[in-house]
Amino acid sequence: MLSLKLAWRNLFRNVRRTVLTCTLISSALIVLILVDGIMLGMVDVMVGGITHTLEGEAQVNKKGFRDNFEAELFLDNPEDIEAALAADELVSGYAPRVIVGGMIASSYNTTGGLVYGVDADAEVGVSKIRDAVYAGSYLTGGKREILIGRLMADLLEVELGDRIIITAAEVDTNEITQELFRVSGLVEFGPDEMDESFAFINLSAAQPLLGMDGHVHQIAIRFADPEDAKNSNLPTLTQLNKGEVEALGWMDLQPAIGGMIEMSNYASAIVGAVLFVLTSLGVINSMFMSIYERIYEFGVAKAIGTTPRHIILLVLFEALFLAMIACAVGLLLGYAASSYFETHGVPMGQFEMSGVVVDGNMYTQVRAYQFVTFPIYVTLLTLLAAIYPAIFASRIVPSRALQRAL
Amino acid sequence: MTTVIETRDLVRRFGEGETMVTALDHVSVTIEEGEFTAIIGPSGSGKTTLLQLIGGLDEPSEGDVFLSGTNIAHMSGTELSDFRRDHIGFIFQSYNLIPVLSAEENIEYIMLLQGISEKNRKDRVKEMLALVGLEGLGDRRPAQLSGGQQQRVAVARAMASKPDIILADEPTANLDSATGIALLDVMRELNKQMNMTFVFSTHDQKIMDRADRLIHLEDGRIHLDERRTP
Repeated sequence: MLSLKLAWRNLFRNVRRTVLTCTLISSALIVLILVDGIMLGMVDVMVGGITHTLEGEAQVNKKGFRDNFEAELFLDNPEDIEAALAADELVSGYAPRVIVGGMIASSYNTTGGLVYGVDADAEVGVSKIRDAVYAGSYLTGGKREILIGRLMADLLEVELGDRIIITAAEVDTNEITQELFRVSGLVEFGPDEMDESFAFINLSAAQPLLGMDGHVHQIAIRFADPEDAKNSNLPTLTQLNKGEVEALGWMDLQPAIGGMIEMSNYASAIVGAVLFVLTSLGVINSMFMSIYERIYEFGVAKAIGTTPRHIILLVLFEALFLAMIACAVGLLLGYAASSYFETHGVPMGQFEMSGVVVDGNMYTQVRAYQFVTFPIYVTLLTLLAAIYPAIFASRIVPSRALQRAL
Repeated sequence: MTTVIETRDLVRRFGEGETMVTALDHVSVTIEEGEFTAIIGPSGSGKTTLLQLIGGLDEPSEGDVFLSGTNIAHMSGTELSDFRRDHIGFIFQSYNLIPVLSAEENIEYIMLLQGISEKNRKDRVKEMLALVGLEGLGDRRPAQLSGGQQQRVAVARAMASKPDIILADEPTANLDSATGIALLDVMRELNKQMNMTFVFSTHDQKIMDRADRLIHLEDGRIHLDERRTP
């Protein structure tokens, strides 16, 4: 008990040094909390950008369809799949789609693109097509409605209400088929690739156009809990994986994003490691300064019978108290900062990563583990950094330390 | 009389080769229980070195040091720490109290190392403070005490562990004459009352006047061993 009291009081012998060391340790904790929160926010934006924009958190496709979007690779029994998804409590929404590559022409120009035939109501719960409409109106089920990307509209030199012809091949006969549409809305997702080559028509119009009544190419799925989409063994998906049908979560659909998340974890680990090294050096330096100032005192303590073990404990207690004060401050400020940026965001400007446009602020994510695990790490690190100075202090030779007096 | 300190052919050399200095040269001395002994001599005569070796703060190059019959000359660091804690009390020139602990806590510290129960510690702290005349000042920190009072706390700390011997290095060097005399009277009284063995390293005539034995060192050797009646 006296050792604890002694360690605690020793911290206040040089208040300035204690404050500076605490500031260093608490700063490391604050940065750790913020960096982790930003990384989580970035991953969330990227995953959300991929899954919520159009892809969905999971998809049911015929095997091989996603390789080249070959029109003949459609799902044979979409009703059964939709019935299973409708009955599944884990699924919050699903959207059947027809997807075909075709020629899109206006009176002035022609371009190739990917035409999505979508169920307008179902898409609202799965994708952000409706949210991407910046001019005109979203699909209402009309036979000639079409939404095109902003860049495609520029290329085709069309405006709302202008005519557009879609030319594609029928699924069964490979006969060329054409249909007239009128631009009912303009959409902007962000990535140029999407805004210059994607067009959306109603599913009820797409199926007759391609001669595939009742069939669809893809069913996009949104889960009630987005974490479920990361589970490859989720029954929702495994039960649908039969024969030529494959049901995959976004981690399998977009392995590159999975890699990026892993990379962001590495980035957090690297930032943490650098912080830990710098903080350790600061703590070691501070502890040594403190020991050198008291070297004579340690000599006396050893002379009167304090064992090396007691000296080590004393220095480690000092480090522990230092870490506890720093963590208390770091947690308060870290929580305040992270909460602020969770609400107001960190200004990041505009950038595109893996086809996902991040514009404006990156919002941090506050997680309980950041306020439990990180302080434990920081405390352990401080104790680890104090071991070397503690051993040094325990090895002080009393006769040398006392040379001034004896 | 019981022998509490015995050195046999004690040699302490510092440095190597041409720079080697022999600080103590085959010193053999025996000190009995209850003696009030002063080691005196000019600077560089080896007083400090002899006191360090008797106190187990340094290791001899040759020879042995027996304290209460135990040879401490070649003990390991931890063994020596434990031995010092239980058998030797130190009083240093610069008081050397722990500044962040109160007078009571400074005295209690060594008993804590000995594993004495809290009640016994508290009782003995009171007893020690009374012995050195510092009742009522136990809650003061060293900075709130005068030099003489701090040195009395150091004496109390040295005695709290009930050691076999007390080694004091120039204990009056930083005190004014009156305070030094008062402190010496306290130690002499303790020596008489409790039959505790005191060994001083000193230049102070006041200590020499009160000592019942003077060991004169010169060039690392005992020049004169003088028993006297103070």
